[in-house]
Amino acid sequence: MSFLLKFKSLEEEREIPNDEYTIRDLLNELELSAQTIVSKQNGELVIEDTIINDDDEIQLVQIIYGG
Amino acid sequence: MQCSKCGNPKVIIKKEQSGQLLCKDCFIESIEKKVIKTVRKEKLLDKGDKVLVALSGGKDSVTTLEILNSFREMNIIDLCAVTVDEGIDNYRQEGVDIAIRHAQRLGIEHKVVSLKEEYGITLDEIMQRENHKGSCTYCGVFRRTIINKAARDMGATKIATGHNLDDEVQGIMMNYLEGNTDNLTKLGPKSESKAEEFTVKIKPLREIPEREIGLYVVAKELEVHFDSCPYAMQSFRGEVSEVLNQLSEKHPTIKYSTLRGYDKIKSALKDEFKKDYAHGRCKRCGEPSSNELCKACSFLEELGV
Repeated sequence: MSFLLKFKSLEEEREIPNDEYTIRDLLNELELSAQTIVSKQNGELVIEDTIINDDDEIQLVQIIYGG
Repeated sequence: MQCSKCGNPKVIIKKEQSGQLLCKDCFIESIEKKVIKTVRKEKLLDKGDKVLVALSGGKDSVTTLEILNSFREMNIIDLCAVTVDEGIDNYRQEGVDIAIRHAQRLGIEHKVVSLKEEYGITLDEIMQRENHKGSCTYCGVFRRTIINKAARDMGATKIATGHNLDDEVQGIMMNYLEGNTDNLTKLGPKSESKAEEFTVKIKPLREIPEREIGLYVVAKELEVHFDSCPYAMQSFRGEVSEVLNQLSEKHPTIKYSTLRGYDKIKSALKDEFKKDYAHGRCKRCGEPSSNELCKACSFLEELGV
């Protein structure tokens, strides 16, 4: 079970560690704040509580930069 | 899980402050309605106004332009825009290009003014000087002067900026923490100066959280410049922002309550602390100034340009 992560210029296939793995878990793993990111699952905007499924494409868009 | 308004299962936001869930269409509508409500409540626009949007090409200014355009479509106001090119290599050009495309898409009068053309020096060049005062100091002063001049040149009656809820609350807290009562009297939805040369400034997005503006532009598929200024550094504003965001996690309404509290005490602050500046003219450029030289010209003199 894996999904494709797209974030800035990064594009990588990642394993789904468990059935309840959400975008929020992914953000925590990447040490990204949900305050600065919006997430898309297979091209559609979703909330961070969304569970990531096998073969999903998850795109993270950084909307807030410091400074 | 479904949209609290229409029942659509495709929810794109859970509002922490209210628990409300919204789908894309209802979210976009809620943002636009809230901005229109702020405009009406604070009387930010008058029929016949020509509003100049300070358009950087970033999410806040593009959203300001997009929503104010609905007032233009209703023939309530006319709209124009100015973009300041500070001269920052590998950063500014993308925002300038995006701003030009938005102005063309909406068919509005737009001009790009560069620091190089206006003052003969770019921000990059200033930053190569020894003993410079920090990029934001120059950028803020030069940009404000250019925007004020553009408003007069283009016959604008109001200047709209993209300040959002986070910006406004950071400003309130920073000035409070620094004990800067003078600056505290100047915040708010609408700034006015007694000097006729200063156009009234309005902040239509001041009640919209920054993250929701980011979500709005992505949901509406508006082209914006998402990037960090290379000169952005750890500033006091950044530290205050971090604290406010941390507090918001456990207290999701705290930014709104800070804003509301400020709005309630603002008139008392103005009565008590507002200073009346002498209104003269800068001897170098003729812009309104309380000193012999305006801030922009005193920087230019120091830089020897």
